[in-house]
Amino acid sequence: MSENLQEQEVIFKIKRFNPEKGFWWQEYKLKVDRFTQFTEALRRIKSEQDPTLSYRASCHMAVCGSCGMKINGEPRLACKTLVLDVVKKYNSNIVTIEPMDYFRPIKDLIVDWDEFYDRMFKVKPRLYPSKEVLEGKAEHRLKPEDQKELWKFAQCIWCGLCVSACPSVRIDPEFLGPAAHAKGYRFLADPRDTITEERMKILIDSSWRCTYCYQCFNVCPRDIEPVTAIKKTRSFTKLYKEKSEVAERGEKHTEAIFESILKTGKIAEAAVYLKTYGILQSLVDLIYMSKTGKLKYALVQERYVQNIDEIKKIMGGESK
Amino acid sequence: MEKIEYDAVIIGGGLAGLMSAHEIASAGYKVALISKVFPTRSHSAAAEGGIAAYIPGNSDPNDNPDYMTYDTVKGGDYLVDQDAAELLSNRSGEIVMLLERWGALFNRQPDGRIAVRYFGGQTYPRTRFVGDKTGMALLHTLFERVSGLNVDFYNEWFALDLVTEDKRVAGIVAMQMKTMTPFFFKTKAVVIASGGMGMLYRHTTNSYINTGDGFGIALRAGAALKDPEFVQFHPTALYPSDILISEAARGEGAILKNNKGERFMAKYAPKKLDLAPRDIVSRAIITEIREGRGFPGGYVALDLTHLGEEYIKERLALAYEAAKNFAGVDAITEPIPVRPAQHYYMGGIDVDIKGRNPDIVGLFSAGEAACVSVHGANRLGSNSLLDTLVFGQETGRAVVEFLNSSPHEPTSNFEKEAEKIVDDAYKFVKSESGVHFGEILEKLRDVMWDYVGIFRDEGGLLNALSEISKLRGMISSMYVSDKSKVYNTEFFNALELRNMLDLATVIAKAALDRKESRGAHYRTDYPDRDDNNWLKHTIAYLRGNTVEITYKPVKITRWKPEPRVY
Repeated sequence: MSENLQEQEVIFKIKRFNPEKGFWWQEYKLKVDRFTQFTEALRRIKSEQDPTLSYRASCHMAVCGSCGMKINGEPRLACKTLVLDVVKKYNSNIVTIEPMDYFRPIKDLIVDWDEFYDRMFKVKPRLYPSKEVLEGKAEHRLKPEDQKELWKFAQCIWCGLCVSACPSVRIDPEFLGPAAHAKGYRFLADPRDTITEERMKILIDSSWRCTYCYQCFNVCPRDIEPVTAIKKTRSFTKLYKEKSEVAERGEKHTEAIFESILKTGKIAEAAVYLKTYGILQSLVDLIYMSKTGKLKYALVQERYVQNIDEIKKIMGGESK
Repeated sequence: MEKIEYDAVIIGGGLAGLMSAHEIASAGYKVALISKVFPTRSHSAAAEGGIAAYIPGNSDPNDNPDYMTYDTVKGGDYLVDQDAAELLSNRSGEIVMLLERWGALFNRQPDGRIAVRYFGGQTYPRTRFVGDKTGMALLHTLFERVSGLNVDFYNEWFALDLVTEDKRVAGIVAMQMKTMTPFFFKTKAVVIASGGMGMLYRHTTNSYINTGDGFGIALRAGAALKDPEFVQFHPTALYPSDILISEAARGEGAILKNNKGERFMAKYAPKKLDLAPRDIVSRAIITEIREGRGFPGGYVALDLTHLGEEYIKERLALAYEAAKNFAGVDAITEPIPVRPAQHYYMGGIDVDIKGRNPDIVGLFSAGEAACVSVHGANRLGSNSLLDTLVFGQETGRAVVEFLNSSPHEPTSNFEKEAEKIVDDAYKFVKSESGVHFGEILEKLRDVMWDYVGIFRDEGGLLNALSEISKLRGMISSMYVSDKSKVYNTEFFNALELRNMLDLATVIAKAALDRKESRGAHYRTDYPDRDDNNWLKHTIAYLRGNTVEITYKPVKITRWKPEPRVY
């Protein structure tokens, strides 16, 4: 370990809030070194300079999920972010700290998580083991590989960063959001659970409402990959009988894309659209497109990938 | 003031509080759980290495619960109440299997059963684990379980003080942090499960929220703390940020080295080496550093490079990640810089083996807030998670028994007392100018680290007592500059400081009085254990500015004190 602490003065611009005054920005100067976490910087600002500054923080080691905030515009856990790393990345000794997006602000960096918790509880976040096991008459065995797979998604620390970064949550009230999906999948996939059918009912429609923008994947401080949990949840759709319209269309869309790539090596947009939405809806949309001048895009003649069989052979994929 | 009524109120949403809540709610009683953070933010989440358990048919064939009790008693330097340690060992397998049934994702053996690893002070390996985030895994499992029961959660509520009537619990006053609204919770039983107090020390592995609130509440209500002088320092906190590098690292084979590359533990614990108990390893590290064999800045090296990338990343993921993120060290190729930091509080609210406090009827305590005493003078690694669950359950059951015996109904009129508690809280910070909490807090943390730390002596402790007393005087003129009526964290920080100073007073005085060295309490002026005079529990009350100390015998069942060599 290098002994050079690289001490440096940094200007912290913090977006503050209270209900009486609304929002304002405030600046603090603080000398930090290369090991100073944002939580420690905030703690020092509060105890040495301005006790009125409010924020949440608890474990300072990225397992409790208290200190989510925006640092230089990026959703981060303050504890998991070193001040000088941000200074270097942005090549500026001025850093900004703001409350997380999406959630209602309460005080300075503290936001209201109630709605987030409601979403988490909607997925029944707990194991429902069999009666025999619960009464101690039987014992669970869990394969090491299953434990590994589930543990990945069980590491969600309820920090809310993924929800604050998720565009789908904002526009679609039926979408449960990435964190709830990670939690939901962790139990859906647990072989020890007994309410799989009910979980599918809760999760499957919502899983097709994700747009795969990967923001949750990017911001998750525990590398849970909520989007992966959502993908894996979608694979349960086949097993589920009472499919919603969204889930059914989603499944059709996936099949259409699969077929299109298999046949042509490309996503043939027009064909995929037709297959996903059916002739009637496609005709309605065609009229809309012609009105808005977008018809030309639908009529583009696509050139398919040549020698598709050769490619399949090289990739080692199966050919139908 | 708003009033609300419950059969039982629990302070703290970590493992001990949740387990108590589970038992009380399952028995059909109306229970409230008050926590100053959302329960999954509790410090239980930070526990890493594992939970000790003897599981019949899934342990070392030579092991049995008696070895586990013996290890615990010896590890605790014979200050352990042996009936409590026996209970802990005998119930360990059952409680781990219970959490498994509820969905805990323990690491597995190839045959699907729960896996095991070594920890410090164990004769046979018996630590069960979920990577090195065992606390987080168990906390989430239990919280998720209890959130499905009929328990009213008061998350982000701050408990102020207990209301008592003729030395019986009558209720508790707490304040919703978001709205700053105080409530009187009328109740017959209160369980304090508010965790530890690491923020009293300059260097700690504890969460920022560990300010010893439950100890302050208990002391002000007239309850005693047991063995308050016993503070554990963990040998391997990451330099310089004090993030815990789990004992699991040494359990999996990591080696401590000084600046000469020597495995120095060979000198201090020739048999157990790096896996000697925490007090011994902590003192060894400080001694190496003091004698010039540490690295500049004051640390030693924890070497796990020989374990290999795959093993490190699977079993010590958090240690690897922490070293990388917070010290810029790649543990696969270079040693991790470590030094001791405050880690655990063996002392706590005086309770019996069922979590009952003898001073106030209806007051219970469990987990790190309580002193049963099962850890004695020094806790073994992986016994704290076990303690929270076993004694959380025992305490919950004792509360149910207490409620079943239809005890005395508190008088309904406590408005005045409740108002006074809120006034006191505000009065204490209502001046228009003065010092703010930070000035006092930073001094306190230095005093505790310098004089009430790993090595102690009479001069230092006297100095600490006088400094703490001065700081305690200063809080009467403490000034809260934030006048906000929503989530006023400055106000709550000031209240936390009040709790910390009440506790610090008691710790320093008890440490001054105990003229011997035992476990984590090491007096350079009395370097030996003295069983003739000091094989007894300290019982400390805080009366105004005076600490009243009495003693209580240690319960010895089968294991007679013997020299503690490793």
